[in-house]
Formats: sequence, structure tokens, C-alpha cells
Amino acid sequence: MRARVLLSCLGVSALITAGSTVGTDPVFRVYTPKGLDFVLQNSPTMKKYLIETMPGGVALLDYNRDGLLDIFLVNGGRVPSSNGKLDFFSRHEPSYWNRLYRQNPDGSFTDVTEKAGLSKAGDTNYGMGVAVGDYDNDGYPDLYVTNYGRNILYHNNGDGTFTDVTEKAGVAAGGWSVSAGFFDYDNDGKLDLFVVRYLDWSMQKNKTCGTQMPTYCPPGEFPPVSNLLFHNRGDGTFEDVSVKSGIAVKKGHGLGVAFADFDGDGFADVFVANDAIEQYLFHNNGDGTFREVALDSGAALTVDGKKLSGMGVAFQDYDNDGKPDLVVTQLPHEPYGVFHNDGQGVFSEQGLEAGLGLLSGNVSGWGVGLEDFNNDGWKDLFIIQGHVFDNVEKYDSTIKYLEPPLLALNHDGRFERANAGTDEAVAGRGAAFGDLNNDGWMDVVATRLQGAPLVFMNRGGKAHWLGIVLEGTKSNRDGYGARVEVNGQVRFATAAGSYLSSSDPRLHFGLGAATTALIDIRWPSGIRQKVAADKVDQYLVIKEKSAP
Amino acid sequence: MITRLVTSFLFASLLAGQQAPESASREAIQHLQTGVELEKRGDLDNAIKEFSDATRISPNYEMGFLNLGDAYMKKGEYGKAIAPLNKAAELNPDSPTTQRLLGFALLSQGYAANAIPHLERVREYGALGIAQMESGKYSEAVASLQAALAKTPNDPDLLYYLARASEGLSSQSMDSLLSAFPGSARAHQAMAQHYFSTKDTAKAEQEYEQAIRMRSDLPGVRLELGEVYASVSDWPKAEQLFRQETQIQPGSAEAAFRLGDALMKQGKMKEAVSELLRSDELHPDMPETLYDLGKSALNLQPPEAERALLRVTELEKETLLASQAYQALSVLHRKQGKTELASKELQEFQRIQSLLQNNLAKSN
Repeated sequence: MRARVLLSCLGVSALITAGSTVGTDPVFRVYTPKGLDFVLQNSPTMKKYLIETMPGGVALLDYNRDGLLDIFLVNGGRVPSSNGKLDFFSRHEPSYWNRLYRQNPDGSFTDVTEKAGLSKAGDTNYGMGVAVGDYDNDGYPDLYVTNYGRNILYHNNGDGTFTDVTEKAGVAAGGWSVSAGFFDYDNDGKLDLFVVRYLDWSMQKNKTCGTQMPTYCPPGEFPPVSNLLFHNRGDGTFEDVSVKSGIAVKKGHGLGVAFADFDGDGFADVFVANDAIEQYLFHNNGDGTFREVALDSGAALTVDGKKLSGMGVAFQDYDNDGKPDLVVTQLPHEPYGVFHNDGQGVFSEQGLEAGLGLLSGNVSGWGVGLEDFNNDGWKDLFIIQGHVFDNVEKYDSTIKYLEPPLLALNHDGRFERANAGTDEAVAGRGAAFGDLNNDGWMDVVATRLQGAPLVFMNRGGKAHWLGIVLEGTKSNRDGYGARVEVNGQVRFATAAGSYLSSSDPRLHFGLGAATTALIDIRWPSGIRQKVAADKVDQYLVIKEKSAP
Repeated sequence: MITRLVTSFLFASLLAGQQAPESASREAIQHLQTGVELEKRGDLDNAIKEFSDATRISPNYEMGFLNLGDAYMKKGEYGKAIAPLNKAAELNPDSPTTQRLLGFALLSQGYAANAIPHLERVREYGALGIAQMESGKYSEAVASLQAALAKTPNDPDLLYYLARASEGLSSQSMDSLLSAFPGSARAHQAMAQHYFSTKDTAKAEQEYEQAIRMRSDLPGVRLELGEVYASVSDWPKAEQLFRQETQIQPGSAEAAFRLGDALMKQGKMKEAVSELLRSDELHPDMPETLYDLGKSALNLQPPEAERALLRVTELEKETLLASQAYQALSVLHRKQGKTELASKELQEFQRIQSLLQNNLAKSN
């Protein structure tokens, strides 16, 4: 039966679309809102600098606390012309700036970048991603922007402006940073910062691959690098504890990062989506150190022992068994990875069981989220897609550079394709999730190379929902790391995850027909808090109680 | 390959100790013996001169021509060997040595058709098969190469030529089919196979559909069309075609395996297990069937999964499939809390993977 292998290896042109949603009602209205005039400038060149194909992130945050989510978009940068005269990236021109768009009450957006003090993207930098968290617990979300080059921490002054506090904070990092996220690894009530770095690259070290025509080289062509962990001292400064914590022990080709307490020991663990090597799961030992356990826990490889080209990651409970699972997006030829949390610190890869064999295999995924888009009580899957190579069709006619987004609704733990509201093929990259219009139905904002962001506005429905805004007192103000259970569903409070992006920090629960909710919160401080909500279809602010 | 075959049959000394024939003068024999001595010392140029003198002095001296041709071949000048070997064959057509050397010389110079009768006479099947293949006589070539392989099994050169001859025979048969019966179902199937191999799946699909319309009971066509759909991950359509094939060929383990695989890819694990078990019954101990069975049963029927995967590790040693079976077993046992066993299986997975990577690096 060796012939089977040969037959199955024959590449073929795409004669069949992977699935059809014709006839089903679209979940989203897809459009670019008035005022959101951003274009993601990745500056592709004939030199095929690897960095060109990797940006950019998006964050949903309410920076001015007016109750409406605003949008922050990370831009790439100007790549030197192909004659290589410049040896750094230029962000001088406004078209290469990162942008902050304030949402107006009518749903339109206003560019407030300059007014907010965010127009200096950092010359020589090339923008990548963004993390959001209130690191100083002042009630206003701060921004951390990752770059190739120097990363930037912007402190939110609470008056609509931000201040670059990178130098004082000591979080400039360096090299090629990609996804990042705030979390409180030592449960001291102050948000720490995890920064994923991709690989050891520079324009001078760039390689071009491809025998017939130039294209981007795979990550294995470049040395791996370590990720960074910064501990928040609480005085506006951070300590680089990458080595001390054990995080730096493992070098990799990281792209995505997500946090959840996978073994229920009360400490947030870290999953790093690595490109074309084993995935990393850093178990938090609870004493300030981590141990990388992906291989031993079953979260490093597919069930076939294959390495994923990990890009984005979602770390939430998709089958409502109360334990956080992992969905990892990746390049074609294998389905996206689904690592089911079997309990006792063990994962098993169950992409086929979850229906991903029907939804992926010939597509490339980046930003990803597990959110309940139809409020039926099951977290659904959204993935923004598009291949790395802009000339991939010339190499493999079964694969497309531009791909439509994937929306799959969750039916008892199995995902089935649904109508996302658009079939437009894009070079998708970042994706952030949140309720833009506060109607209780989760929306999506996704980025695409050389194009405007896509806003997927949920059309809504009749099912009930509950939104929870955590306000930590002993725990960090954002409540990141809290385990929140509502009517049997569990979410792990975080804005991190996806790819290069940061989502609405509010916790959203679809309730189906339920009109009341029982809320059980386990705060990072260890405080357990139960709340009964007699009224649903609302955002509920829950302040951490002072005693266990 | 031809050079290797030739050199293996060259003789160190063709004339050593031989009595003088009537056709040769004493002087010619003296030149021949001098040539043999020179040849033994590796002085091929002077040996050739001596053998040439021998044949000039005695123009019907068979051994002189044979040794001259042999010396040229040892020197790698196969073209120059042909004329003296032809003369030697003319003088003594029954000499197997002459026939063999002449066949090799002709084949090495591209005169494959001319080489065939000489190689046939001495039943030199390896070279004969190559000559027949080069002459477009694929059917005869396959038979000859198989005969050669019976004597020296696993010879990589012979296996290579056998593969090429078989490919040629297949192509020749297809050409005959297409020219004689261009509108037949089999012709459409053949065209579909061609399109699939050239990655034109749209045309492959059309041709397979046409073949099915013409002969709905034709075995194998749905299996092949299902593979086209499988190659683009259209598993529902692949399943449909494989299922139809299992109805046409209920005894086909291949069809059952394909159906089981398509069901597994869709996450229909219960149905997949059932079909893969059926395939295993029809044709036991197929490693790929057992591996798919193990994967499908991993969460549904752990004992069945364990049995199938362990069997893979018994059947396959240090192969990719073996490593994957160990990885799947480690997943299964870790889930069952058998941590120590899972760790050992993981180590075995890593060991084989590392071995395979090293082998790949060496071969590159």
C-alpha cells in the first residue's frame, strides 16, 4: 500500500472549493466603518525580506473609558528600496504610522493618533503587534507595541494622551518581537509582560529562497531566539526575568502567545505558537519560574508527530468541559491544530474530531479567536487567513495567497463552516475580538496586508448574553488570569491571544435561552467570588471582593 | 550501469596458457603472448599494439581480434572494440566471451538493437533487458530484467531499469489503448490519470466522470476520482466516491481503507473505525490501515487503538509510520495516566525521527 502514499502526495490544482455556506444567513456585516482610513503598509519588495509578510496587529481597547471600544492598528514600515541603499526602516511618513481610532457614538471612527501622542512610531522600527493592559492599575489601558527594533510602552495618561515610557520601564527589548501579552504570572496584582520573538534576522542577514523565483525563506533558515518575560516591579519599571524564570532556556521561532491556567493550579501558564518547530507550553511553577512541558503534556506536536507552523493561538475552552484548550493556526497541508485539554495537565491533538479536517488543510491561518458569535453557549471559531508567500500559486496551484476568512460555529464541540458575511479573499494577518457596538454580540476586526482593516459587525439575534467587566482590587485591575464560569461555561480573562493582537478585555458569554446567570469567579489572588445575575443582556461590572 | 556490467565481465587474460591455433603464425602468437604480458602489467597501449601486430600478421587469428577488442574495452574505448570483436565473432560465432563483449560494446555505443542478438546468445539478461528497453521492446525488457533480478535480487541498477521498462510498457499500452479505442471508458480513465499526474485536477475530474458515465460498473475509477478529491481535501466528495467503490468492490481492502481514511479526516471516527476494521479483516497487517485505525479509535475505543498501533510498531521498524505510531501511543498512554510508558514511547518517537532526519541529511 505504499502507492497510497505516493498518490496522496500528488499535488493538484484547486478544482473544488473547500466548503460552501451558500444559503445560510451571514453572521456578520463586513465593512470598513467611516473614518477608519488605515492601510497596512508592509512594503513588499523583490528582495523578499521576510519581515514584509508578517505584520500587523490590531487592538480593541477603550482608551478613553467612554464605554466604546476604540481601535489601535500597528503599521509595518517602509522597507529600503531593492538597491539596498537604506539599512533601516523608515516610519517618518504618516502613511507608515501606527494609528489610534476613537469610536464615535454613531459607530464611525476618528483618527486621534497625533492628539494621543502616538504618531512617533519609532524610526528604524518595523511595526508588528500590540498588547494592552493596565500595568499601573490606574484604570486606563496602556499600550505595548512590538516591532522589529525597539518596542514601545505607551502609558495611558487618562486624558486621551499617551506617553512613551519605554526607557524608564526597561521594556525596549530588541530583535524581532512579534506577539506580546500582559499577564500576572506571580499573582502579585501587577501585570507582567511576555514578549514573543520570531527569529534572528536582519536585512543584512536576510536570505531569499526559491529555485524558480524568489520567495520568502522558511524560519529554519534563521537561528532561533528566546522569548522575553518582564516582571512588573510596581514602580513603573520592569525587570527582565527571562533567564531567571527559565523562559529564555527555550529558543524558538515564536509568533503567537496566549495565557491560561491549563492545569488549574492557580497560576497562569504560557503557550507560544512556534513556526515549524515544536510548540512551547511554559508551565508556571508558581515560584517565579517556568518549565517548558509541551512535549510531555502532548501540546507540542500533532497526533501524527508533525510540527505545526504555528502562527496564531486561542487558549479557551471550546467544548465546555471547564478546561482551556488550544487552537493553533498554521500553514497549509495539515489541518489547524486543536489540542484538547484532557485534564491532569495532559493534552491530545483532536483537530479531526473537532471538524478542522473539513475546514482547513489547504489554507493558511493567522489571527484566531474562540468566541460565541451566535450566543448559543458554545465558543465558535474565527480565523483570518492568507498565505505567507505572495507568489505561492506559482509554486503550488492548490494554495492561494489570498483567502477568505473562516467562520465555524460550534455544535457541541464540533466546528462547522458558517457564512462569515464575505467571500472576499485577503492576505489576512491580525484579528481582535470584541463587542464594538455593545449590543452583546461579538464582533471582529481583522487586518490585511496592503488593505484597510475589515470590520465584521455581528448581525445579532435573539439569544441572551452576559458581558462581564472585571475590576481587580487585590488582583490586577484588569482581572487578567481570572477563571470565570457562567452557567457552566468558562472563560479565562485575557486580552492576549490570536496573532499580534489584543482583544476586548471584557468577558462575553452567550446564554442561549437562559435569562439568569450564575457567575463563579476565581481571581488570580485566589479569592473566590460568586454572583447571581437576575438580569442578563447587560454588561456587569464585578469588583473583586476584599476577602476570600 | 552498462559500464559496470562491461567491466565486470572483462577478462584479465584471455589467452593465458592457450595452445597455438593453426590459423596463426608463430610470430603472431609471439605478439599475442607479449601483448598479454603487457596487459597484465597494465600497459594497455603497448598491449594493443602487440595484439594489432598479431592480427595483421595472421588476419584470421580469432584470439588476436578478441584480445584486441578486450584491451580496447579495458581502456574504455568501446567504439574501437567493436570492429575487432565483430571480426572475432565472424571467425568463431560460438564463442560466448566474444558474443558477450560484442554485445556490451555495441550497447555502450548506443547500438542497442544490434547488441540484442549477441546478448541473447549468452543469456546476459541484465544488459539484454537494457538493450531491449532502449529499443522500445518494453515487454521483453521487463521479462529479461526480471530474469536478471532473479539471479541478483535487489540490484539497484537492475531495479531502476526494471522500473523504467515497466513505465515504458505502461505508457506503450496506454498509447495502444488510446489509439485503438479513443472513446472507451478505459481511455477516459487513462486520460484522467494523465491529467491527475500533471496536476490538472479539473480535467482529471471531467475524464473520470466521463468514464463512470460510460461504464458505471468499472472497478477502480471511483477510487481514483476519490483520490482527486482527497488531494484537495474535499473529504465529503471523496467519501462519496470511496463509498461507491466499496459497493462495487466489497472485497477491496484498498477501497475500505480509503473510505475509512476519508471518514477519519472528517472526524467521523465511529464510522471510520468500523470501515478500517473491515479493511484490516480483508487484508490484515497493512501498516497504514492499522495506523489510521489507531488514530480513529484513539478517543473512542482505546483498547482497539492500542492494539492497532502496537501492531504497526511490530510491522514497521525505524520508519516514519513506526515513529508516528509511537507518538500516537504516547498520546494514548499519557491520557490513561501511564506516564512512564508514554515517556518511553515519546523517546522512541524522537529516536526514530532523529534517525530518519540523519539519514535524510546523509542522502542529501
